[in-house]
Parts: sequence; structure tokens; C-alpha cells
Amino acid sequence: MEDLDHLIICRHCQTLQKKVTLKENEVAKCSECGEILYKNASMVFHKTLALSIAALILFILINIFPIMEVIIAGQKNELTILQMVSRLFNEGFIVVGSIVVVILFIAPLMLLLFFIIIGILSHFKVGKNIVRKLLILVVALRNWVMLDVFFISILVALVKLFGYAKIIFDVSFYALIFFVALDIFTLKNIKPIELWNYYFEVYENEKN
Amino acid sequence: MKFTKMKKIDTEKLISCPYCEAVNIDEGKSIYCRRCKTKITNTQESNFHTAWAMVITAMIFYIIANIYPILIFDKFGHPNGNTIIGGVIALWEEGEYPIAVIIFTASVFIPLLKFILIIYILINYKKPQKGSKKIDQAKLYHFTELIGPWSMIDVFVVAILVGVVHVHSIQIKAGIGATAFVLMVFFTMLSTLSIDVRLLKESKDAA
Ligand SMILES: [Zn+2]
Ligand SMILES: [Zn+2]
Repeated sequence: MEDLDHLIICRHCQTLQKKVTLKENEVAKCSECGEILYKNASMVFHKTLALSIAALILFILINIFPIMEVIIAGQKNELTILQMVSRLFNEGFIVVGSIVVVILFIAPLMLLLFFIIIGILSHFKVGKNIVRKLLILVVALRNWVMLDVFFISILVALVKLFGYAKIIFDVSFYALIFFVALDIFTLKNIKPIELWNYYFEVYENEKN
Repeated sequence: MKFTKMKKIDTEKLISCPYCEAVNIDEGKSIYCRRCKTKITNTQESNFHTAWAMVITAMIFYIIANIYPILIFDKFGHPNGNTIIGGVIALWEEGEYPIAVIIFTASVFIPLLKFILIIYILINYKKPQKGSKKIDQAKLYHFTELIGPWSMIDVFVVAILVGVVHVHSIQIKAGIGATAFVLMVFFTMLSTLSIDVRLLKESKDAA
């Protein structure tokens, strides 16, 4: 069985190949299609822990302060994610409201909390089963964090509002920019296999 | 040493766990990943009837989403529905070309591309394919996976407008089209979950 741990199947072209050991900053690419298979990812849980704490602070800011203020005909409305959802619910758009609250609020919050729990448990090398279950959830949840899409949607909405509304950007607008940058350039860049390799390193090393 | 050991494993039977990418041996029946212990749906277990039902349901919702307004502008008591295509045309006429293109790609083109790919997989799952064509299809599939979330743009725009435009003279409400669009996204996702997307790249000329 241990032989299988030296193998990897490329997610993009399904070519079977042998794993290579990487030095710092090295990257393993598929011999067939050239896709990046994995990077050197020692201490990856410490990295995700630090990034998730930073992202969580930004996420709290985004949800406390309004993203922008829109003034139409002298009336001021503030945009926050939860206020937006509650208005959809009030109008009876349960399906749209539910998917928006899952994608923009529940999924990112759970992802960050799970990364933080994984980081803490793995540091003390405890809770192997919990970490394993959380890792499965984390990999699935990552596809559901769409604050980057939401950010572009704000810009599109602005174009539609420009004619008859005055818009003032608030603290959360900038927090959202930082959050999206953090998410795209760091958290989304970490491949699932890097997380699992490190899990293996921390919890199952004694078998090797 | 390692090389000879590897030869003993039937490479055709190795599959990668979709959750943790550990390499597992496909014994034909139910497999549980040896590392993360999750159940792996293999080719034999793919449910094609469910996949077809889901993708057809998704396409029906896609048509509804395009016929009915996703947004209703109510100016001084005169409701005015906005369909996806209507919105794109309005943006184009106002000279907002880049945004018109983004909305068209995200809301109309990406879902269509996904339908075509899923149907293509469902039709061709028995025919083995070889070489570079296989890689192109797999790359195309992963590309649609990557851009998939962007199809949510219009739904978010509707939510934002509903959230901020709330005055006596002008009211913005979500339309039936928005609900249909969200359901379309949901059923498309279910259809890919009930099949093994590795079918797209079955039968490799073993390395
Ligand atoms: Zn490859
Ligand atoms: Zn697994």
C-alpha cells in the first residue's frame, strides 16, 4: 500500500506519475499536460492559520460596516450582505436569498473557522479525525466562496445606478478588496493535495 | 527497486480520490479512500439516469430564467421587467460594452457551455478516446469549473440593487427569472455530482 503514496494522478489529464520530493519554492508539474501538480508545502497549516485569522478580521469588518451608501432622491440606503439578504427574504425570494446567504456569508465564515481549527489542532498534533473531516469540508467549501464574483457584481451594479444615485464608498468596500486579494493570491492558490500531504506528514508520519 | 514494485500494480485500476487526491485501487465495487475514508464514486457507480434528469431540469430552468424578468423596476407605479438579454442589450446601447460582454458571457454563455460539456460526457462515456483530444476536453472541463462561479454575477447584481434601491418613487424587485437562474445553477451542480467526471479522460495509454 505504501507504494501508492509515491504516485500521483494529474487532475487535468489523469496521467499517472511518480511523486518527486521538492525543495523550498520548487513546483512539480505534470509530465503530460504541464499543469502544476503540487508545490512544496511544509508548514502549510500554519500559513493557512495566519491567513485565515487575517481574512476573518476583514470578513467581520465587511459584515459590520456598510460596503457603500447609495443616495437616491434624498433617501439613503446602506449596503451590507445581511441587509441585502433580509430584503430578499422579505420580498419572498427565499431561493435567491438562501443561496446568497450561503455563498456570501455562511461558506466563507465556515471555511475560515475550519482553517483556524485545523491550524491549532495540527500544531499540537491532536484531533486527527477532526482534522481529516474538516479538510474534506474545506476542500468542498472553497468552491463556494465567491466574494470575488460579488465584488465584480458591485461594480456592475454601480454602472446601473450611476444615472440617478449618489454613491459613497464605505470602510467595508476597501476591506472587501483586501479580502478578495488575500483569497485569490493565497488561500485559493493552495492545492488540496498540498493540504493532504501536510496532513499525512503531521499525523501519519510514524508509519513511513 | 521502486520501479519493479510499481509494475506489479495494475495502472488501469488506479484512481485518484476526488477529495484528497490520494491514489486508490479501483476494485470495481464501492471504494472508500484509504487516506481520507470518503466514498469514491467510480465509473460503475455513476448514475447516468440521474445525471440526464438533472441536466434536463437545469436546461428547463435556464429557459425560464431567460424568458422571465430577473429584475423588476417600478418607477412611480409602472412596473418594468428586465430579462437577462434585455439587460445586456440595454447596457450595450448605453455604450457599456465591457460590462455587456461580461454579463452575456457569465449569464448566457458559461451555463450553455457547461450543458454542452455535460451532455457530451453523458453521450460519449462508453467510447474510449485517445491522446491529445482527451487532454483538450479535460482542460475545457476544468476551465468551465473555474469560470463557473462567475455565472452568479447577475444574481448578485439583482440582490445588490434590491438591497440598495428602496425609495418611494423607485422600487426594484427580484423577478421569477432570478429564482429560475439560481435553480439552474443548483441542478447543473447536481448533474456533475452524480457522474464521475473522470469519464472524460477514461482509457489512458498507460504511462
Ligand atoms: Zn496532466
Ligand atoms: Zn481521499
